[in-house]
Order: sequence, then C-alpha cells, then structure tokens
Amino acid sequence: MTAPEAVQAAFRDEWGRIVASLIRRTGDWDLAEEAAQEAFAQALASWPGDGVPRNPGAWLTTVAGNRALDRIRRSARGNELIRQLAEDPLHAAADGQQDDEPPQAIEDDRLRLIFTCCHPALALESRVALTLRALAGLTTAEIARAFLVPEATMAKRLTRAKAKIAAAGIPYRVPPPERLPERTNGVRAVLYLLFNEGYAASSGDLPIRASLCDEAIRLARLLPAEPETQALLALMVLQHSRRDARVDDRGELVTLEDQDRSRWHLDEIAEADTLLSGAGPLAGAGPYRLQAEIAIRHTREPTDWPCIAELYAELEALSPSPVVRLNRAVAVALAGDLDAGLEMVGELVVGDELSNYHLLHATRADLLRRRGDLVAAREAYERALALAPTEAERRFLRRRLVVE
Amino acid sequence: MKYLQLICIEGETGTPAAAAAMNEHIGPWLQETQSRGIRIVGKQLDEPAGAKTVRVRDGETLITDGPYAATKEYIGGLDILECESLDEAIEVAAKHPVSWFHAIELRPFASELEVPDDLSPDDMRYLVQIFVDGIPETPEVEEGIVRDAEAWGEQARERGVMVLGGGLQPKHTATTVRVRDGEVLLTDGPFVETKEYLAGIAILNGGVTEQAAVEFAARFPTARYHPVEVRRFIDQ
Repeated sequence: MTAPEAVQAAFRDEWGRIVASLIRRTGDWDLAEEAAQEAFAQALASWPGDGVPRNPGAWLTTVAGNRALDRIRRSARGNELIRQLAEDPLHAAADGQQDDEPPQAIEDDRLRLIFTCCHPALALESRVALTLRALAGLTTAEIARAFLVPEATMAKRLTRAKAKIAAAGIPYRVPPPERLPERTNGVRAVLYLLFNEGYAASSGDLPIRASLCDEAIRLARLLPAEPETQALLALMVLQHSRRDARVDDRGELVTLEDQDRSRWHLDEIAEADTLLSGAGPLAGAGPYRLQAEIAIRHTREPTDWPCIAELYAELEALSPSPVVRLNRAVAVALAGDLDAGLEMVGELVVGDELSNYHLLHATRADLLRRRGDLVAAREAYERALALAPTEAERRFLRRRLVVE
Repeated sequence: MKYLQLICIEGETGTPAAAAAMNEHIGPWLQETQSRGIRIVGKQLDEPAGAKTVRVRDGETLITDGPYAATKEYIGGLDILECESLDEAIEVAAKHPVSWFHAIELRPFASELEVPDDLSPDDMRYLVQIFVDGIPETPEVEEGIVRDAEAWGEQARERGVMVLGGGLQPKHTATTVRVRDGEVLLTDGPFVETKEYLAGIAILNGGVTEQAAVEFAARFPTARYHPVEVRRFIDQ
C-alpha cells in the first residue's frame, strides 16, 4: 500500500471514530471536524516521507487531539475548556502519552455520534447530511452534489443542524434502553434512505452516489447486531452486490431477469446469506428482514415465486403501500396465477396513488403480454412510455417495446 | 436547561371527547411534572381575540386588536420546564394531553432564565411576546437593540413589573411535538411558520393594567421594527 492509499484507507476507517471522540471531549462539532481534517492533511504530508505509522489510527487520534488543543488554546474560552480537559485522555495524548481508553469507550463514541446525527428532532434531510459529514467524512460540497442542492444550501443545513444540537440540548449519547428500539429504528431508516439515494443513481454525480451505498453499509455494520439491523445490512449488501450488472456498458438500466449474473459479487451474496441464516425464525420478522428474504430469493435459480409472493403478502400486512402491492402482484402472477396478479395490478391502475407511475403500466404490459393479450399490452407500454420521467427510463421501455 | 413549552391549539378546539380527555389527563401531568421538579410554572392564556398588537412607528405607538398573525393556530398557554436534555422535554411534552390532539412547541431559552423562588401563577397577568423576523439589522442597530432590551428588562424587574423574562434560541432550534395513534411525531421547527417569529417573552405581574402592559410593550426596543403582542393570562 502506498502512503496516499494508506491515508485513504485510514480516512475510511478512522474519520468517524476520531470526530466522534473529539465531539465527546470538546462538545464542539466544528472543532472536531476541523481538527480531524488537519490530522489527515498532516498524514498526507508526512507519511510519504516518514513512512506509514504502525498504528495509523492511534497516530491520527493523537495528531487530531493536538490540533484540537491548539485551537482551543487560541480561542477565547480556551482556559475554561482546558481545565475541563485536564483530566481527559485527550490531554494525555497531547502530552505524548498513549491513548489508553478501552476500545469499547471509543466504539461507544461512534454510536453516540450515529444516534445524535439521526435524532428525530432534526429534519430528516439534516439527519442524512449530518451523518454523511460527521461519520463518513464527506465534504459539504460532496453531500450537496449527491443531493443536487447548491453547496451554500447544504452548508446552511449542516450549520443549523449542529446549532440545534448544541442550543436545544440534544444529548450526545446512546439512548437509554427504553428508547433504544425506537431510536434504532430511526437510525436504520436514515441508513436505508442514504443507501437508496445512492442506489437510485438516476441522476447526480455517479461516483459520489455509489459511495453513499458503501457508507450506508459501513455504518450499518457499526450498529449493535440485532436481527432487524442484520437484516437491513443483508438487504443493502444484496442490492449492492448487483451494482456492476444493473447498468450495461452503455449506461442503460438492466432488469433483474436480464442481468449478467457473472457480474454479481458472489462473496457479498454469500455474506448476506450468512447474515440471514443467523437472523432467527421468520415468524414476527420486521420489514427489512422480509425485504432481505425476498432479495436473497431473487439471487437463486430457479426463482421461487410462490415463496416470494407469500413474503410480499407478509410485507404488505406489515407496511402496506401501493409499491409493495405492485411487487406482490408480479410475484403472484409469476407464481402461476396470471389472472390474480393482473387483477391486483388493475386495481392499482384505477387507484389514485400509483396510476401515474410508469412502472405500474410497464408491469401491466408485461403481464398482459405473458397472457397473450398483445394489443392491450402495447397500449399499456405506450402509457408507460408517456409517463416515464427520464430519458434513460424511456430508452429502457422503448427497448422492451421493440423486443415485443 | 430551561425550555418554553408553548401549548399550540390547531384550529378548532376539538371534539367534546378531546376536551374531556384533556381535562382528565392534565391533572396527572401537572402532578408528575411538578413532583419531578420539571415544571417550574405555567398558565393558560385568555382567548387570542383579546390580544393587543403593539408597534411603534415614527415615535408613535400603534395598537391593533387581536394577535399579530391571523392564523387558525394560536397559543393557548405556556409552561416553563427545567429538563436535563431535549429528550426529557420531548418525553414530558408527549405526555401532555394537548399534544395528543393539537401540538406542543418546545423552545430553549437563550440564556439562564431567572425565576423568582416564590413565583405563583397568581403573579402572572400579562404575557408580552417579542417577535423578530430574522433579517439582521446593521450590527450597530442590532447592538443598540440588545443593549436597550437588557436595560428594559433590568428596569422592569427592578420595578417589580416583570416577574420573568428572557430571550429564546432562534426558531430553527424549535421542536414541535405531536402524538398521533400513540406515536410521538416530531417536527424540526416551530408549529406555525410565520415571517416574524417568537424571539422572547416577558411575563408581567398581577397588578399590571392592560394599559400599562401595552405601554410596556411599546417601550421594548424591537417595537420600532417588529410587532410586540400582549396577551392576558386566564384568571384562575
């Protein structure tokens, strides 16, 4: 590994950890981010000449701690803060001593940071942005590009969120046990949203969007390994394992059934399989578990449509939505009951929520074609084409139209 | 940390069933929050229609009847809470029956709020609400306003007219709490978005007349730029 690669790897592994512990010790989010940034800048400058330290994390933690202390000394309220820090290992580290905090305390710091970034009193968009900035180390400009907003807007969003945490007394902690299930649910929702922003990838800066998927997966690994969290991790790992097959060489979207399976990352699918087999009985499973179970069945051949239809029925009972119903209809149809599937799709066409959703009409067209109803199928395809929001989606539908 | 808990009534006061549920549950809420040392003081406000909105333009005091913002939503009362964090304030607000039917807005105070030890709701007659619109004046004007406001507060406290007063953190630090179907729903920000928003409050004592309260409001330095609203607390 070259020195710059080592810095990059350390950034991925250590950024959140360093920022999280500096926030706990100083209570100052901006200071923590700036000190961490300076530590990585110094690593970039000195590691190529001096060599990569044996323990990059410890090196960076010490340097970031020193930088934080320098800044505190220069600031007006420095003396008061330094007194507070006198008993703190940050100070010890700055004096050249070893950072002897137990690893558990440091892990807890990162969890504190996740739960604080995902606090429900912050707007959802702020939770997502703050998580990317403080835990994943994305710059404000990168986050702005990922969400297609001007950088100034994103900067303001981050500043306000941090100001609210400080001024409104949002505690920097892992929630107490009675609040933990509900709050963990909130964190999972933020991570899955983050993942889907990256996964949708129909617009915006592609490399940054792909890194959103990586970050969501990485952050999910930090959460306590309870069944629904493991299921979310499995779900994201599974979807991400198809990243190289979802888009063809010309940048066109490829449906699951047409994907080149040799491009799937089989090691990741195997990991998801392990995660799910350790997730306990399916009875009483949450929505992420059901979605992950559906996703893993899509990786197997031949596809077990009756089982998938059943899982969708359970998912619909748990969190009903027209999109879940549409997917269930497809599974029911492909499990052998085309008429029942088409009937469910037909109900959605006359309902209000999805009637303008192009994929509803494309799905209906596909099922009609399978039933041999070619004229009605063509009409439905044209309806889908007229409703498709992007040129890529229109090209995709047109290709299907030509094939038929 | 001290929080201002605003009782926010959204539109109609609600069904008789809602009113009955609120009457039934407010007693236990008061008991719990008082015994935990969380609720310092609080009181219900009179109808918003009785409000006076005060502005000062070119040295002249302009008084209009009614609240400054003619919205369906209005503030029906307030409490001052002492909580260890926003989480505790949210927990307490979610137990308040108004949050089950309407909403509760939590606003942190900007600086340490001085609360007299022997403060009783009987000492609270008028609420003066200071509004600003967040557009900064020039730094000189701003500094002048802050200086004048401090002097105003000092004087009001010395004369015993004001029993309690303080500035609030900016509106983006507000959290609105609603409970629906047993689920606590939080909104980042105040419960009603108006151009001018609540930036501070003063509570005037039991002996103050309406005229004195209005004169008081007119002498608050922001009255030259923004509305100041005077509301009467309900007689208990």
